[in-house]
Amino acid sequence: MLDLSSFNNLQLDAIREVGNIGTGNAATALSKLLACMIDMDVPRADLVSIYSLSEYYGDPDSVVAAVFVRSFGEFGCSLIFIQEEEDADLMVNLLLRQQFGDSVPADLDPEMKDSALTEVGNIILSSFLNAVNMLIGTQHQISVPGVARDMLASILDVVVSIFGQMGDMALVVNTQLRVGASSQNEENRTISGNIIMLPDPDALELLLRKLQVL
Amino acid sequence: MDNTYHVGMADLVVVSAPAVLITLGLGSCIGLVIFDTMAKIAGMAHIMLPDSRGTKVIEKVGKFADTAVPTVIDEMIKKGASKSRMKAKIAGGAQMFALPGVTTDFLSVGVRNVKETTSMLQKSGISLVASDTGGNKGRTVEFSTTTWMLAIKTLGKGKTEI
Repeated sequence: MLDLSSFNNLQLDAIREVGNIGTGNAATALSKLLACMIDMDVPRADLVSIYSLSEYYGDPDSVVAAVFVRSFGEFGCSLIFIQEEEDADLMVNLLLRQQFGDSVPADLDPEMKDSALTEVGNIILSSFLNAVNMLIGTQHQISVPGVARDMLASILDVVVSIFGQMGDMALVVNTQLRVGASSQNEENRTISGNIIMLPDPDALELLLRKLQVL
Repeated sequence: MDNTYHVGMADLVVVSAPAVLITLGLGSCIGLVIFDTMAKIAGMAHIMLPDSRGTKVIEKVGKFADTAVPTVIDEMIKKGASKSRMKAKIAGGAQMFALPGVTTDFLSVGVRNVKETTSMLQKSGISLVASDTGGNKGRTVEFSTTTWMLAIKTLGKGKTEI
């Protein structure tokens, strides 16, 4: 297995490019789903200490909504779509209004909201994965998505359990999608969400080989 | 005002009363406290993984259940606690995401954390007097050496004490 601390900038840049291609596809899919413009950031591929992971992402205590999927195949990885809870609720409203017009009740029950959120997350993450696997020429299967609303630090424990056994660093590919303010969006403010890609430690070697940086 | 100590990921803190030990956002991780009410000494660890086998370098002993439990006990003895009086409480070990039809090691790490921590305490002869583990919700815990109670905050469910 590769030692994360031996990664050089060229390799991290190549992985970041994978994130870029995945995000581009995810942004297109989200844009079609919500029928509005989506902005994306230049992704980052970072090696982060697992002991300060939540500080890297924000306030450990803050409440976030997250959708999680596993990708199986030659290139195994996990993906998380994570948002501030308020942003997740705005995005769900936007989707439901887009699909059902004004007939959506204001006090939708939480299960319906989570179900809609899971679907948005699933579409974003599947599109991301499709592009990545196309790029490196691997076959993959995606799990059913899981959803959680909780403290940032608790959610990120899943990252720790993936990378913790092999060392004290995690390789994370991060990118942000933003839904612009529009007439459809009640609050008329930007809604953002982050995609986090976590390659399985034992799939990193394959990834670097496919990218021709190993 | 009691001294407040924040116990970070994989950290381990042993203190003399009066003190408050806090650890934030436990998902699959375990918040372990061991205390001796007579010597007024308490230790807390934020355990991330069940066991250190297969790990080449152990950077932090608080990281694994099998290394954290004995270390907390030793540190407490150094401060004057007696092993025979020690009691323990644990919280955490949730499974944050459930994927139908998928069983992977890392998703169920919470359950294994609870199991290993419990068995390490048993092996050391320390009685586990209270626990709040499992489920799918994160927990923030706070232990007070004034009341010797472990307060657990869970999103949407408020605060409970064990």
